[in-house]
Order: sequence, then structure tokens, then C-alpha cells
Amino acid sequence: MRLLLRRSVLAVPLLLLVSALVFALLQAVPGGPLAAYLENPNVRSEDIARLRTAMGLDAPVSVQYVRWLTAFVQGDWGYSYADGRPVLLRVLERVPATLELVLSGSVLALLFAFPLGLVAATRTWGERLSRVVTTAGVSVPVFWLGLLLQLSFAMQLGWLPSSGRQSFGATGLADRLSHLVLPALVLAVVQGAAWTRYLQRSVRDTLALPFVNAGRQRGLSESRLVWRHALPNALAPFVTVVLLDAAMLASGAVVTESVFAWPGVGSLFTEALVKRDYPVLMAFLMVGAVTVIVLNLLADLAVARLDPRTREEA
Amino acid sequence: MRRSMKTLALVVGVVGMTACGGTGDSGSKTGASNDLLIIGYDREPDTMNRYATHILEDIESCVVEGLVTNDEQMRIVPVLAAEIPTLENKGVVLRADGGMDVTWKLRPGVTWHDGTPHTSADVQFTVQAINKGDWKPESVDGFDRISSVDTPDSLTAVVHYKELYAPYQLQFVRGTLPKHLLQGRDLNTANDYNRAPLGTGPYKVKEWKTGEYVLLEAVPNYWRTGTAPKIRQLLFRFLPNTTTRINLLKAGEVHMVALVPWDQVRTIVPVPGIRLNKVVGNGYEHVTLNQRNFPPFADVRVRRALAHAVDRPLLTKTILDGEVEVVNGPIQPLSAAYEPNVRSYAYDTVAANRLLEEAGWRRGADGIRVKDGTRLAFTLITQSGFAIRESVSQSLQQAFRAVGADMQIRLLDGTSISSVWFKGDFDAMLHWWQMGADPELTLFFAHDRMPPAGRNINFVNDTTLSTLLYASDRAIDVAKRNDLLREAQRRIADLAPEIVLYNTAKIDAVPATLKGFTGNPTNAGPFWNVHAWEIAPK
Repeated sequence: MRLLLRRSVLAVPLLLLVSALVFALLQAVPGGPLAAYLENPNVRSEDIARLRTAMGLDAPVSVQYVRWLTAFVQGDWGYSYADGRPVLLRVLERVPATLELVLSGSVLALLFAFPLGLVAATRTWGERLSRVVTTAGVSVPVFWLGLLLQLSFAMQLGWLPSSGRQSFGATGLADRLSHLVLPALVLAVVQGAAWTRYLQRSVRDTLALPFVNAGRQRGLSESRLVWRHALPNALAPFVTVVLLDAAMLASGAVVTESVFAWPGVGSLFTEALVKRDYPVLMAFLMVGAVTVIVLNLLADLAVARLDPRTREEA
Repeated sequence: MRRSMKTLALVVGVVGMTACGGTGDSGSKTGASNDLLIIGYDREPDTMNRYATHILEDIESCVVEGLVTNDEQMRIVPVLAAEIPTLENKGVVLRADGGMDVTWKLRPGVTWHDGTPHTSADVQFTVQAINKGDWKPESVDGFDRISSVDTPDSLTAVVHYKELYAPYQLQFVRGTLPKHLLQGRDLNTANDYNRAPLGTGPYKVKEWKTGEYVLLEAVPNYWRTGTAPKIRQLLFRFLPNTTTRINLLKAGEVHMVALVPWDQVRTIVPVPGIRLNKVVGNGYEHVTLNQRNFPPFADVRVRRALAHAVDRPLLTKTILDGEVEVVNGPIQPLSAAYEPNVRSYAYDTVAANRLLEEAGWRRGADGIRVKDGTRLAFTLITQSGFAIRESVSQSLQQAFRAVGADMQIRLLDGTSISSVWFKGDFDAMLHWWQMGADPELTLFFAHDRMPPAGRNINFVNDTTLSTLLYASDRAIDVAKRNDLLREAQRRIADLAPEIVLYNTAKIDAVPATLKGFTGNPTNAGPFWNVHAWEIAPK
């Protein structure tokens, strides 16, 4: 409880700092919300000036920031420059799709990483297999892998739909799952490869510790040593990494969502970035910052639970 | 642990089987039919309000109709207007005070989708809403020259202009706003209208699933025919990734893709059941030469030399697969104001070298020309992630180097590049202008329309040209106006303020069985006549 309270208090200045930095950085990026209007010859400089005033962009950056912050902390996330709808609504309507994708990708990645990491840590052939598989997994560009799977399983074999979250007019679970398979697989391959390496290293390091050798000399079987003694000790750092990576997985979903036309937060972010839709970008980045802080906290709590030695420190 | 692993394996197996087994009846691969036509669309609209969007109005134009539109030959044709007002039919009267009155006769019997008659009050309300100042329409161009609108009867709107305004015929190309629905409301936040506008068109919005699609359904008694359009539903799927969009077309998951990139055409040609429809575009790709930022471009001999250095036919044949035509000026061949007989710059490196020598530029030791200690070296900016532009830039780099000019390439994302050129902060830029349906050139070439006042980013400063352009803006007589614009095109070609490369042909991939589709070179877009489309039985 004390940990929770302390972290919450510390999070406030951190979030303020992040928000100010991000706001300043967004303003520094060339282009702005009105850049898209310039492509239309019928939009004249008078129109640009009129729109700038109407959107409050003619005020100094510091004034814009204070206005945004004051409203944001009161729950008013503003209106999207792109479509004029409330930002909160725009973000919330995309969250379920991203959660669905990231959670499925994480589960698949764990299903991949857990057995392979263990085998790699305990068997020579497993280590060789893991080296090949994980090198390929971490090296392959997400974009390329997505297109490759799309071409193979959707276009050539016709087993799975190539994009979207649901077929038009379909309502069944099977249809939803069939759309989820390829994008979740793409996320899982990249993340699973990294997690396999973490787990492999963590288990192997634990197996080299004196208490494991002592157990081995007392005649404990190798499987008992791994499952009962090494794994629980190796899990603490692994869980930390998994939880911290979950936020990163969401950023990996930006590319995946683009390739598979997945209607999640990632594609909203891409769209907002292209249009320099500041209110949506700020909301996205603040939600991201809060998520990282929360997952950090969860990781600490999980480690404290898994490793009694850390409880006091926590 | 073992039991858990077994359970997990079972779950994975079941999920996998369910997923793979589920595609057979997913319904995503049904062919195009009069029941449903699926369009792979490159972006999600920001709003369906035609006056507020800054994205192409393809989807909106199926719902909200203008008083006029442009057909596939770029002709202005009436839609909700009974006729186009002109001087000849007395629809336009020039006033002694320098202004003009335009009388729009509306087509009788047209109703909004809710059954309310479409009247001149809607025209009047539209002008008032746009000029009121508390709304954020994309542009008020033309509307701000209107002093008032009179409505002598429900089907007549007399629009009073403070000054002569030649493009008046396209003033209401984006339609009108329904007064009975929007009067007294804040149009910035009227999201019921902005997401599903009330229109008079052949379709209405049935569902907009954010991030996924917009579904339009045919109105049952469309005014043109009294019956519903043949195609019952149009589904616009948002697929921003070009490769994905084309892949889905090949896989049959979408039936139609508008604006196929030129370098993708050859991959679509063999796809069975797909027809490629090409129309001459109303835009042109070119290299802008910024005379203010890079003073050597102020010498016409340098500009002409660089134009001669580029083998445009070879460039279009190789990089663009011969899908586009070389053109020589800003007004495109389909326009009634097009002038074909202008000075053109054939590939001629001898002429290019001679012109540069005449201008005093001598080759240095590294092959790059120098004059008064200044190297003929500049930077060209263009949009990143646009493969064709990147290839064309490299080709230009080689061509210019062959005549002694050193060009560096700088790639910028689409949003950044807009702000850079608007400030005039570049030497040269490879880009296109998608011209409006009206042939106005003043904005791009008049001496007093340099940024921020306009789009003269060549910074060309020629009073003869400006005089011609402003005279054309005041010429209400179409034939007289076109003559002035033809002369302006000849002048522009002589001045060579930019290196004109090719016409931006528009290629749409549509079902081979789709009847009535013509494409459209203007911003009216390929859906301009969607009411007449039909999928022929196989």
C-alpha cells in the first residue's frame, strides 16, 4: 500500500514533465494541423489565418499548453482537429481493438517463448534451435513479416482473411478470431523471440547458482531442479520484462495495425501524427505514459510477490 | 504445470481450428454485385461535411449533391440546378458598380432524404453559414465576395457578388446545407450532420464504423429516376497502406480501388475480373524552381537549360511504366482553356550546355558549373515514402549532373513538406498541383500571389503574365476568359518558371462487370455519377 501511495505521488511531477516535453516537441515538428489544407489551391492565406485563430493556434505555445493542461486534468480532453469529435471518444472507441490485439499477441508470444526458452536453457539442441529461431524473430521487420503472412495465408492459401477486424456483415466469434490470427502472430513472433532470450538467460543463470548445484549433488532430478527450483527464481526478472514490454508491444502494434488495417489506437496515432492532430496525439501519449507507469508498478508488485527478498525493499 | 500446458495446447488448437475453419463463410470474398460493392479507400474521411473536409469528397459526393458537378470531360453540368447561369441565358448580369448578380434556378421536385423540399432558402442559408465567421469551413473562397442572396421564390436564388468572379459556376459545387436541420446550430460540433449528412444524393450513410468503414445504402426513391440506384450498398473500407489495398483487390476482398499508383498498374493487369479505367488527370507533376531562395534560377536561361536536360519521355516510359503523358504546362488537356501550342523543352543536352555557357556558368574541375564563385548546386525536396517521386528525383539528379548542375535530394514527410514550401524555404521541389476544375492560374503565377498570399512558390515576377491572369479572373465571358488563359499559358512556357514533367493520369481499378463507370479527372471524383452504376450479370 505504501509502495502504491509513494509511486502515485511520484508519478504526478513525472507526468507533468512528460506532458510539457511532449507538447513542446510536437510544436517543434515541422508542419502543423493546417498543413493538410495547404494542398488545396482553393484554401487561401486568409483561410489559413482564419482557421489558425479558430483553432487557438495563434496563441503562444506556453498559453496553448496551459489551456490544454487545465482542461485535460478536468477531464476535458478537447476536440480532434481532424473530425471535430471529442478526443476521449476517439481514443476510447479504438482501445478495445488494440487491447484485443496486444493481449492475443502477448499470450501467443508467451506460448512461444516459455517452452522454447526453457528448452534452450536446458538442452544443447534447444540452445541451437533457439539461436536460429530467435535471431530470425528479432531481426525480421514487422512490416515485412506482416505482408509476407498476408500474401501466404490470405492471398495464396486463402485460409485467413487478410485484413480488418471483422468481415462485413459477420457477427460470429469464428470470424473475429480468423481476423485476429495473422496480426497477433506478427506481434507474437517479434516479441516471443525477445522473451525467449530473456527466459533462456534467466533460467540458465539461475541453474548456475550454488543452491542448484547443491540440489544436483543431493541427487535431485534435472527436471525437478528446473521446474521446482530454477524456474520460480528465474521468473521474477522475466515477469518484469514481460510487463514492461507490454507497453512496447502496443507501439509495435502501430505498424501491424497499418498493414492489417486493424482499427486500433495505433492506426489512430498514425493518422493523428500525419495530420498533426495535437489534442489526439497528446491524449495518446499521456495514456501511454500512464500505462508505462502503471505497468512498472505492477511489475514491482509482481516481483515482490514472486521474490520474498524484495518485499522489504519495496 | 503439465496439466496447464496440456490445457494451453488444447486452447491453441481449438482457436486455430476455429479460426481457419471460419474463413469459408466469412463473406469477405463475395464478388461485386448489385447488392454490395466494396471499395478499398486510402483514408478515412475527417468529416462528411463537404464544406469542412480537406480530403477528397468521394464518399460525401454520393450523399450530398452540388448545384453542379464536373463530368468525365471536365465539363460543368447541372445537378440540383436546372441550368447553368451564363451571360447568354441572362443568368448572369453585370452591374454598373463592378459587381454581378447570378441567378440560380433550382431543379423542381428535389427533396432532402427526410422528404423536405430542397429550396433556394437552403442556398441562402449556406452562404450565410459560411460567411458568418463562427464556423470552420475549409475555404470561404468566392463566398466572401458575396454580399447577399435573395430568394424571390422557392426555386430561385439570386446571388449578389461585390465584384466580378469568373469561377462563379462552381460556387455551389459542394452543395448546400439543409436549413431546416442546421439553422441555429453550431456547425463545428453538429456531429450528427457531420458524420451522416442529410443530402439529396443517391445514397445515404447507414453506418460509419470508425477506423474500419463507411457503409452507404441506396435511397429508395432517388429524384433522378424515382427509384433506387441499382447498387444497393457501397462499402468504403479504409485501407491506408497501399500494398495492403492492392493485395486485397487481388484477393477479391475489395472490388474496387480508386487512384491506383502508376507503378502498381502492371501487377493488376493480370487480375481476372478487374478492369483498369484511365482518364487524363487535372494535375501535373513538376519541379518548382524557387527564384527567391536560389537566385541562379532567376535567369531564364538556367531554367530553360535544366528543362532541356531532362529526358521526359524516357522518364515516363521507365519509372512510370508509360502510364502517364508528358505535358508542357499547368492547364491540362481536358480543360476548355488548354493551349497545346506552347514552347516545349525537348531533351537536348547540347542546347542545355549552350544556354548555361551563355549565362556565364563554366564547368569546374569536378564537372559542376561555377559563376562568380557560386556553384550551380541546389537541393530538391520531395515527399518521402512515395517510391515514384524518389525514383524520379534520382533520375533528375543524374540528368542535371550531366549538364553541370549538382542537385542534392532531401526527403520530407507529407505534412512537413507543406509547411516548408508554404514558407518558400527550399531551392527546388518535385511535386504536383491537383488543379481545381476552374482553370484559374492567378494563385500560382501572379507576382503578388507569392506565399503567404498564394501558391506562387516559383516566385516568378512577370507583370505581363500577371496582367493577363487578372484580366482572365474578371472575364465572365467564358470564350474571352479562355483566350486570355491560353495566352497566359504561352507566356508561362516561355518563362519556364518550373520544369513540367507529366500529367497525373487517374487510374481506377473497377470490376469488369461494372457498367456506367467513367472516372473523373477533377475533385468531383470517380463517384460523380454513381447513381448510374450497375453490375452487369455474368
